[in-house]
Amino acid sequence: MTKITINGKEHDADPKLPLIAACHDAGIDVPHYCYHPGLSPEGSCRMCQVEVSEGGRPARVMVSCRTGISEGMVVETHSEAAHETRRECMEFLLKNHPLDCPICDKAGECDLQDYAFQEGQSEGHTHEPRRKLEKRKDLGDVIVLDQERCILCTRCVRFQQEVTKKPELTNAGLASRSYITTFNDRPLTGNYQGNLADVCPVGALTLKEFRFQARVWNLEKAASTCAECSRGCTVSVEVLRRDAVKRMRPMYNADVNKWWMCDTGRFSFEHLNDPERLTGGLIASGTDLLGATAGEAIAHAGATLRGTQPAIFASPFLTQEEAGALLELATTLGAKPKFISPEANDLKDDLLHTGDPCPNRRGLSDLGFEAVSAKDAATAVVSAGVALLVGERVLSMLGDADLGVTKLITMDTHPCLASGVEASIAVPFHVEKAGTWINVDGFAGRLTVARNAPQGVPPLERTLSDLQAALGLSEAQA
Amino acid sequence: MSGFEKYLMSRMGAENSHTLEGYKAQGGYATLERVLKDMTPAEVTAVVKDSGLRGRGGAGFPTGLKWTFMPDAQKDPRHRYLAINADESEPGTCKDRVFMDEDPHGLLEGILMACYAMGCEGAYIYVRGEYRHQYDRTAAALSDARAAGLVGKNILGSGFDCEIHMHKGAGAYICGEETGLMESLEGKRGHPRPKPPFPAGFGLWGQPTTVNNVETIFNVPFIVEKGAEWYRSMGSEASPGNILVGISGSVNKPGVYEAPLGMSARTLLESEDFAGGIWKGRQLKAWFTGGSSCGMVPASFIDVNMDHDSVKAIGSMLGTASMIMLDDTQCVVRAMEVVARFYDHESCGQCSQCREGTQWLHQIFRRIEAGRGKPDDIDMLTSIASGMAPGKTICALADAAAIPANQVVKHFRDELEEHVRAGGCSINGTGACAHGTAAKETEVEVQS
Repeated sequence: MTKITINGKEHDADPKLPLIAACHDAGIDVPHYCYHPGLSPEGSCRMCQVEVSEGGRPARVMVSCRTGISEGMVVETHSEAAHETRRECMEFLLKNHPLDCPICDKAGECDLQDYAFQEGQSEGHTHEPRRKLEKRKDLGDVIVLDQERCILCTRCVRFQQEVTKKPELTNAGLASRSYITTFNDRPLTGNYQGNLADVCPVGALTLKEFRFQARVWNLEKAASTCAECSRGCTVSVEVLRRDAVKRMRPMYNADVNKWWMCDTGRFSFEHLNDPERLTGGLIASGTDLLGATAGEAIAHAGATLRGTQPAIFASPFLTQEEAGALLELATTLGAKPKFISPEANDLKDDLLHTGDPCPNRRGLSDLGFEAVSAKDAATAVVSAGVALLVGERVLSMLGDADLGVTKLITMDTHPCLASGVEASIAVPFHVEKAGTWINVDGFAGRLTVARNAPQGVPPLERTLSDLQAALGLSEAQA
Repeated sequence: MSGFEKYLMSRMGAENSHTLEGYKAQGGYATLERVLKDMTPAEVTAVVKDSGLRGRGGAGFPTGLKWTFMPDAQKDPRHRYLAINADESEPGTCKDRVFMDEDPHGLLEGILMACYAMGCEGAYIYVRGEYRHQYDRTAAALSDARAAGLVGKNILGSGFDCEIHMHKGAGAYICGEETGLMESLEGKRGHPRPKPPFPAGFGLWGQPTTVNNVETIFNVPFIVEKGAEWYRSMGSEASPGNILVGISGSVNKPGVYEAPLGMSARTLLESEDFAGGIWKGRQLKAWFTGGSSCGMVPASFIDVNMDHDSVKAIGSMLGTASMIMLDDTQCVVRAMEVVARFYDHESCGQCSQCREGTQWLHQIFRRIEAGRGKPDDIDMLTSIASGMAPGKTICALADAAAIPANQVVKHFRDELEEHVRAGGCSINGTGACAHGTAAKETEVEVQS
């Protein structure tokens, strides 16, 4: 570590990183566009100017993303000269930027807006017509490019070159006629395109999925964990008006996903907004399924399970906390819980996706849950005659195997329609609960409540403990 | 005007000066043979350093000093390259083409000596794409030299290996910037690299590289042959040697002339040995001192001596000593519109200030020229220029665009204001200095 002084305070800085990283580590924001901690420094936006004096020489204003750390360096990030240089730079960047903010999806989280407010001036000086370029350039299934909004920071170009190793984007043209494009207008490929919208500091690259869906200041954001594979990327789950999940974005996590996430995870939220989800419970009555409260369904489940030794299969979506409650319940019933482990999918890649659809495989295995294939699980369910299926997606993971007339108690987000079902009890989605998943490398990823579960959907831990209590009751009491 | 020794163009009059026989007939490659036999690389570098040769690409950096920036070959076993900048694209500059046209072997001999001095195993000549004839001449010379054992393995039996490659640019001005040139040679877009790292540490393909101008390298065999003292006897104290001066514009005899550094600009303009005065009996009004990027100064500066320091003292730059002369019927605003259009066209688009600033400057000059200027436009020009330069961008193209804008406001503010006031050009009192209408006809929309 190297000692440097930033804004009058001494800090330890990593000499392998550029000065801007040291400033950010010290909690001082240096405005920047082309610099991204996950990409090689480019030094072309010229925004991150700070005043530096080295070895007692007079201070100079220089770009901090291309300036190395040296012992005893004295840095002023907010000196008059540095601020003035950034103000000038802002004016150039805004010269051709369209006044789209009212209809731009990036508005509210746009670096150009933020730094214009922080560093710029309230009035522009240009009288010239703004640049006309392609406004809606389709870059494939995920991304739309607005070349007019682009400030040519080339973060997207470097992301494709350095992170996905698919150099599909480039800048073309010269001078103010430059623009970002793909070779021969080919669509982008791969499972990481969504990150381009995140690395874009302005509203040039936007997600088709999110375009015109919400104003970002109306989104409530919660740090949580992605459910789509055993990597468990740390994500921000963003909910509009306490109702629909509108967006998932990666959050920096040095141990897991750095700054990125795959598109499979990013776009796995439509089902969370499904109005057909189960609330409360369902109870079998003759050949019909009748709506009930969760409490009634739990009582019915207790009556069904009492005195039996059911097969118990958990979903690999169970948190450690829920799995603990299920273990207790299983002990009461004298059963050994297992979890359904679907076959690996073909989404595995070198970057993040593990191809394993079980977000808490490692955690459940640590707790002694045995992994069972969907096919074996179906066989075991049929031969046991009574079964308890617990957790989000447990039914879809079990597949459409014929479960015969097995008496089924299910706890899932959706009702079970198999002929033998005795009771279905609603459970919350993973974005609606707090808990822990252990990822493939043993990292404990936290789930937080991004959205409250709808009324009538009790937390799964409570459902399990209520069921355990119901089992203890005599038939007469029930 | 005589009274100085010519050497740069000394061979050029002769028949077949561009062929190997023609070159050898005038003593060519003899110095190389002596160098390879009798001199160590360090001795070659030392004589170039002692000569005080300054780079002829525009910046005037001491060449010998630049060579010593190459890392010690003993400690750094990486490949080493020399890149020759023959991407001469500055408006007004047209001197390197003369060497490649008339005396390509002189260039090759210089390259071989420079490579020997710096231990470079290869050299690349990056030729401007439009220089087809010059490329062909130089390529033919290279092929002859290779056949004669002067290029390649074990040159002249000395054990020294040096391969020379030629590369044709695709017409981008920015590829004449040394790091843009290297990027282009590597097959990428010619986006200049931020410095540091400097080319001597991290150049072509990440290897130590020196980039020199054609004319700089062309000087080397003469210096090595005749010695540093001989070289210092010409030119000025701080800028020794001769230079090729390109004189264009409203002169009687536009062309490329050899002159010692430090010769008065008036002599170059008026002497019958050089440009022969302003044409049609008109008066000089303004002139670019060293190519478009050095900006315009008024006629009153014509007595300046054409060496690096003297031109710098009048607030301009020697650049490539390419003087563009405007007579008193011509409009500086029109001239600046052309210059600003050039930089607007040629900025690589990497740095914000340059990409937007070059366009902005052009847009304003175009408006003023077309009679649509606003009173605050002139202060806006200096404000934009000060936001672009100096040293605020990765390379010096932003400076090259900002300097002429600053210069024209400094020296010709009246004329700009007159354009704004009159809603167009009224320079010679008749309102008919041709450019007003011409500008409207040729007005190119910046954006397509």
